[in-house]
Amino acid sequence: MDRNQLVKWLESPAKMGHKYSLHAVYFCTGCGIIEVPPSITARWDAERFGVLPSASPRHANLFLITGYVSVKTLRAIIQTYDQMPEPKYAVGFGSCPINGGMYWDSYNTIKHLDKYIPIDGWIAGCMPRPEAIFVAVTHLWTLIDKDMADGYKRYRKHYAAYRANQEKALPGLDWPPLFPLEGSE
Amino acid sequence: MRDMGTLLEQLTSTFDGVRARLDDDGRMRLEAEKESVMSLLSFLRDSGFDFLQMVSCVDWIDRGSMELVYVLSSYPSTDGGSGDLLYCILKVELPRDRARTVSVIPLYECAEPYEREIHELFGVDFHGHPRLTPLLLEREYPVPPFRKDFDTRKYVSDFFDSIPPVEEEGGAQ
Amino acid sequence: MRELELYFGPQHLGMVGNFSITLQVEGDRVVKADANPGFLHRGFEKLMEQRSWIKNFPMVCRMNVVEPDSMEMIYAMGVEKLAGIEVPERAQFVRSIYLELARVGSHLFGLWAYANMLGFDTVAQWAMYHRDLVLDLFEELTGGRVYHIYIWPGGVRRDFPAGFEKRMVETLHSIGGCVPDYDDTFFNNSLFRSRASGVGTVTREQALRMGGSGQVLRATGVPFDVRKAEPYAAYSSVPWEVPTREKGDAYSRIWVVRDEMIESVHMIFKLLDSMPGGSVYTRIPNPFKWRIPEGDAYVRCESSRGELGLYLVSDGGDKPYRAHFRTPSYPHGLTVLEHALEGANISDVGNIMISLYVVAPEIDR
Repeated sequence: MDRNQLVKWLESPAKMGHKYSLHAVYFCTGCGIIEVPPSITARWDAERFGVLPSASPRHANLFLITGYVSVKTLRAIIQTYDQMPEPKYAVGFGSCPINGGMYWDSYNTIKHLDKYIPIDGWIAGCMPRPEAIFVAVTHLWTLIDKDMADGYKRYRKHYAAYRANQEKALPGLDWPPLFPLEGSE
Repeated sequence: MRDMGTLLEQLTSTFDGVRARLDDDGRMRLEAEKESVMSLLSFLRDSGFDFLQMVSCVDWIDRGSMELVYVLSSYPSTDGGSGDLLYCILKVELPRDRARTVSVIPLYECAEPYEREIHELFGVDFHGHPRLTPLLLEREYPVPPFRKDFDTRKYVSDFFDSIPPVEEEGGAQ
Repeated sequence: MRELELYFGPQHLGMVGNFSITLQVEGDRVVKADANPGFLHRGFEKLMEQRSWIKNFPMVCRMNVVEPDSMEMIYAMGVEKLAGIEVPERAQFVRSIYLELARVGSHLFGLWAYANMLGFDTVAQWAMYHRDLVLDLFEELTGGRVYHIYIWPGGVRRDFPAGFEKRMVETLHSIGGCVPDYDDTFFNNSLFRSRASGVGTVTREQALRMGGSGQVLRATGVPFDVRKAEPYAAYSSVPWEVPTREKGDAYSRIWVVRDEMIESVHMIFKLLDSMPGGSVYTRIPNPFKWRIPEGDAYVRCESSRGELGLYLVSDGGDKPYRAHFRTPSYPHGLTVLEHALEGANISDVGNIMISLYVVAPEIDR
């Protein structure tokens, strides 16, 4: 650690804490989950990067949305994301959450995940390799350093719009809004 | 186990209106009316077809009918004997606008999720099914989505594309 | 005692895959279980009706992420049967070797999930590492780690690259050399035995009645295997055994998985020894204008979890008119699972589910 880094660390210990202890929610949302066990076990070992799976969303700050999102899963994803404490980072894994991928004409998968919850970064590919997860993690570090991984802040700011989209996709959304709807756009 | 030829003769003599033939690969093809499904399937089960592999459904929109397909086979005998396995595909046509038939769960317990799925995706009613609640879908669709007149591409452009993006500028990096 | 409703999944540590079970519990005993699939429903069979025959190959393998290879195989078998395409003998051997390799990989993944579930983390790490070695072989052969799209109608995409067979044998030997370690640490471990034996018992009558196949049935002593019952690819050209167990509980099922893995590796060696020469594919018509004659067919093969079937209908057009997959997890994960969970302890729910080898995307399709 050189002098600059030390100064930076002293300035923002909380930021360093968030960076190097990214605890991912244990939620197998799609087929991308198949590359997560290899990355957290001996060969690829995500713990080198401080990434660990976490049993409860209330103890996690990283949400890897692994693969296509069907409408039924979207409900679970929103509930999980709402439960996570701030600051929280959501990363879309695979091409399907970006724009629907090869399910672009499926009636039951949502096409653009960032219409429903804010996303801090994308990992493209089908299937992305374990190395891609690590590249994404290091990119996320940079974003956290520069205060650009601000998905949770955007969620708060535009909550009314997000909530409206969620209600459109999920008929009968039966939980109360996370934030007051009046203040947000 | 019986041999397929005699089974075929027995079937055609016992049941009226059953069209039966033997395929080149030794599979039996049956076509029957929906009224005789229960008696036909219980006859088949007693003659050794103890394995209902799947229940499928095909929407023949041009003919105006729904075709239920029961794929039957047999398990090898458990006492170590090596009888030939039996194969049969039974097709039943239902009118497309009033697609309802009787559930075969009393004969084959494993038909339960298949019938539930066909009810959901094709809109076929199964009389006597204990739970025809939604199995796979979350949203309601204008027509059951696996019917041929449901256009998924139109649905996608009408519904998913109508949801606006939240933030015009900025957004994810 | 008061009954409670408990949601098990989709976000739950005991759940592998995006699947949910609604449990009615009394104390810590499950009174009734309701399987709740559909979190991964993409409407594959509908999407296949809108894509031409050849374009469906990248689709079908996405249906089961743990073992995509048997999905390619079953669709290729359906297309070949409808179109009347003959497959050269060498391609049959290559397909068999490829499918058995996939079975080993899939079983190692299942072993990871099961050992992880029971807290045997050491074994879980080994299994995942060994699966990665198998994936490296796939990467060399096909270019993809997870999705390979290697089997085409009329054969396979390419022959084994130079030296591949030697490297495959070496890898399999290095995995096989660890079997005694696996046995000592996991399979013969008395902790594992007391945790798994007598749990989630499915009797032979129940398994037969509810459409069981694969390990669920073989763990009850029925030697039913589609590779034996209706041989496809090159499975009839080498001798091999169907491993079975008698009890029908989680312990027997995992032992069947272990024995099957070893049998698969032996089968690969035998297949390599008797491999014929020749081409690995036949020419098919121009795939962009390919029309398949009218007809319907039911084909089946043995995936790593049980009987995998496909009912394929063609109306003479350039796209399938209807495709319906009979996946092994469908009866196992809905009918058998609900039955096996009745009366079980809450702490055994994940144990039973993983020992039944349920893969959620297969159910939802």
